[in-house]
Amino acid sequence: MSDRVMADMPLYDKLSILSDAAKYDVACTSSGVDRKGDGTGMGNCSRSGICHSFSADGRCISLLKILFTNECIYDCKYCVNRSSNDVVRASFTPEEVCDLTMEFYRRNYIEGLFLSSGILKSPDYTMELIYATLYRLRYVCSFQGYIHVKAIPGADERLIRLTGFLADRMSVNLELPTAEGLRLLAPHKSRKNILKPMRLVQEKTRENRQEIAVYKNAPRFVPAGQSTQMIIGATPETDYQILNVAEALYKKFDLKRVFYSAFVPVNSDKALPAIREEGPPLLREHRLYQADWLLRYYHFEAKELLDEENPNFNVFLDPKCCWALKHLEFFPVEVNTADYRTLLRVPGIGYKSASRIVKARRLGRLEFNDLKKMGVVLKRALYFLTCGGKMMYPVRIEEDYITRNLLNTKERLPEGTEGMTYRQLTLFDDMNMAAVHSAGTDFQ
Amino acid sequence: MKQVYICNDTVTGICSALYDAWKEERHGEAGIELKGKIQQQLFCEYKTVIETEQKSESLQRMIKRNLGYNAYWDVYHAILSDDARKGGAVFRMMQEARRLDDSTKIMDHLGNPDVAKVFELSRRVSNEAHVYKEFIRFRELESGALFSEISPKSQVLTCIADHFSDRFPLENWMIYDKTHGAFLVHRAKERWRLVWGEDLEEEAASRVSEGEKKYERLWKGFFESISIRERENPKLQQTHLPKRYRREMTEFL
Repeated sequence: MSDRVMADMPLYDKLSILSDAAKYDVACTSSGVDRKGDGTGMGNCSRSGICHSFSADGRCISLLKILFTNECIYDCKYCVNRSSNDVVRASFTPEEVCDLTMEFYRRNYIEGLFLSSGILKSPDYTMELIYATLYRLRYVCSFQGYIHVKAIPGADERLIRLTGFLADRMSVNLELPTAEGLRLLAPHKSRKNILKPMRLVQEKTRENRQEIAVYKNAPRFVPAGQSTQMIIGATPETDYQILNVAEALYKKFDLKRVFYSAFVPVNSDKALPAIREEGPPLLREHRLYQADWLLRYYHFEAKELLDEENPNFNVFLDPKCCWALKHLEFFPVEVNTADYRTLLRVPGIGYKSASRIVKARRLGRLEFNDLKKMGVVLKRALYFLTCGGKMMYPVRIEEDYITRNLLNTKERLPEGTEGMTYRQLTLFDDMNMAAVHSAGTDFQ
Repeated sequence: MKQVYICNDTVTGICSALYDAWKEERHGEAGIELKGKIQQQLFCEYKTVIETEQKSESLQRMIKRNLGYNAYWDVYHAILSDDARKGGAVFRMMQEARRLDDSTKIMDHLGNPDVAKVFELSRRVSNEAHVYKEFIRFRELESGALFSEISPKSQVLTCIADHFSDRFPLENWMIYDKTHGAFLVHRAKERWRLVWGEDLEEEAASRVSEGEKKYERLWKGFFESISIRERENPKLQQTHLPKRYRREMTEFL
């Protein structure tokens, strides 16, 4: 393998190779922590995160997203850097990563560093290199911006812990939604190995919260929390299984975010689904993100949105509309009296407009006109709301009627996910894989 | 007869006009028009405001004291917008606040059209300011100072000043607002200043440092290689990053 590593490769080529190799990682947010600069270095962090550009695929660029190295001893079938692939290999030095981060940050190109890596020699060896890089960045370069770093499964606990004190967010990739899928596609990785560092970060975070309560200036451990990501559409799980996994991760591992990555075939392997003409399953990814928001901000539970009989999301309607149509007995809701949580369940009302409604109605009765100014999407909400006992138009509370009308109000989908067919969401009949075990069972 | 106060489109100007209007017409009707953007109306008496820092500060203190900091924040941002009717909306919103039992709740009162207007303007300006926190690009000049040019619709410089001062405390940097001809200047370890009425020295601003070209090239390379070809989607990219910003962004030049 080492013969494919080119000595003295120019920095430009290294950056091309190692950012190209990192591009499938989805978590490019810089959110979760507010930190002012202390005046002695460079950088600060903002809780809501800051995007600095958008690449040609429309995804945000917030962090300098790179692998430390794309040399890897593992042979995961979905990964472009699998050891059996013949690709040019490159590795940064800690100095190079620091130099790029500082100079990009100064020019306001980026919000910080996202450092992942292939497994060079061993998990410990790799984790140590990552630690050395972060140490230099924080203490030699005085960098106070955002750092997202991967914990390498199988690396020494102490190394992961030390690294966590230098980073803002740490993540361990779940890779695939179920243990079964992982066994098939990533033979060198095991679910147990992946969950172990996740648990470690969770426990250390809880411990650190108490330290901070006692000593205000105790060092912060992963202050922006941990996240994970899984690949969608490489293995035959249903949306219901995937959503259950996400819910379990939020509840049992205190994760801040779960990211979903539509499978993009980069290798051909008989264990992987065939390359599809329509491209990656972007609409499915979009529906999962919508449902994920419902879990995190709207007090929904996975089992309310899907079940064994309807295990996949609807192509035509978003998960919240689907839920509302199945629960018409809750509607219509009176804007001037309904409590916050009830408002949250109305299609067309987001968590921001719901809180604006609750505040504004203390000062006067609200009419449909006022709702519009507060950011309520009336063309969807009007079937589910009354203002002062009256609906906006005379409408029937009836599933077929409302469904038809909602379908006519075109949902704003992200560009590129439109025009997809239902087949893409059910599918998997063209894959030679046995059904996987019900998801979420290994999170005990 | 309705009084109309005429002032310059600056924070000092509009706040001075609001100060006079509040002093003389708080129980009646008053208009506030911006020099150069006046819409003449019948049955109005026009007068030009004498603008002073003292009036402006006094009015801002009064808003903070009576309407609370959150409402002040919205008013301040609304005043920076490029809307010609912003002064009148703020004035009537202040009048509306007097009618509430608790004036500090005024910004929750979105059922009132003037409050809604101030809210909308404030949101527009703070959104634009946020966009510039994202999309501003600095280049390193020969002197080692960082320089950036922007063309915002609203006067966003003071909204982004604290952010960049906190971020780059040890750097000398400058942001030039081409639309309004203003400079935001920060010297290492000092507080930022806003400078009006100077001309940009184009020639000095184009002499970049030795390393600048290298990092620009690295950044452009990164920008290309980070995109996934199978997901390419120029329309989505344009929704998030409208073309008007790209003229001043390194990766699109």
